[in-house]
Amino acid sequence: MPLFGKKKKDEKSQRIQTAVSQNETSYFGKNLMIKGRISGNGNVIILGGLEGEFNLRGRVKIAEPAKIKGEVKADFISVNGSVKGTLSAQQQLHLEKTARIEGQIITPKLSIDEGAAFNGEITMGGNKTKPSEAAADEAAAVPQKPDATKSDSL
Amino acid sequence: MQKATTADSTSLVSKNVRIEGEIEGPENLHVEGYIKGAISISGDIFVGNTGIVDADLEAKNIVIQGEVTGNVTAHKQLEIHPSGKLIGDCIAASIDIKEGAVFEGRSMMMKSAGAAAGKPPAPARLQPQQSQKKRQPK
Repeated sequence: MPLFGKKKKDEKSQRIQTAVSQNETSYFGKNLMIKGRISGNGNVIILGGLEGEFNLRGRVKIAEPAKIKGEVKADFISVNGSVKGTLSAQQQLHLEKTARIEGQIITPKLSIDEGAAFNGEITMGGNKTKPSEAAADEAAAVPQKPDATKSDSL
Repeated sequence: MQKATTADSTSLVSKNVRIEGEIEGPENLHVEGYIKGAISISGDIFVGNTGIVDADLEAKNIVIQGEVTGNVTAHKQLEIHPSGKLIGDCIAASIDIKEGAVFEGRSMMMKSAGAAAGKPPAPARLQPQQSQKKRQPK
């Protein structure tokens, strides 16, 4: 039995290790309150509070207990919590059933689950309704600039 | 693994993430990214190898493996690992600075709640003591 207990412990520490070494997904627990600006690359799961701004290349998951006031900008956003302010997803935005949104949504692809509450305004800019994700990635990586320069040179 | 952490949930700021602002709450915080501003939590702060913190820190236990610039207040223990670097003043109930660590600043010892309850702010191996300490304040 003690052996088993030890093994379990090892597994746990290993799991923490890998979580740290993978280093991809940041996690803000439900008791954490952040005031300010979060930026960078990577995925984020937030359960706590944020007053300020998210500006990320990656996925943001706003879990149920999370309360956000301000602006959230990322590639993919999925919301289960409450947001007052602007949600701006470069690629895709998903509101799940416990989402409570007050404010503005900007995204080319939107899905809303039954039960989600949304008061505000939606802008689905850039008519990118390309079905393949690769194309969408490309479009995001090279945002319209070439077109603009082309039309300028013409 | 090592000692038990103080709060029941640990937040992680990963490598390529940057936070500018204030962070607070009853949580543990593991920093592998960059934080500028102020952190005041009632759990533990762990600044990992890739972590860079340009902020004043306040927490129960603080472990530094990365780089911290700012004033540090540890209500229990401050630990600076060989790879760690602290530029700034520290106030702690107990300090543990490993060989190779960098610490530039003033140090002041405080009498923490744990220390006042009878346990002297003793050297590194806190594991058995800590569980006792934990029960005493409650």
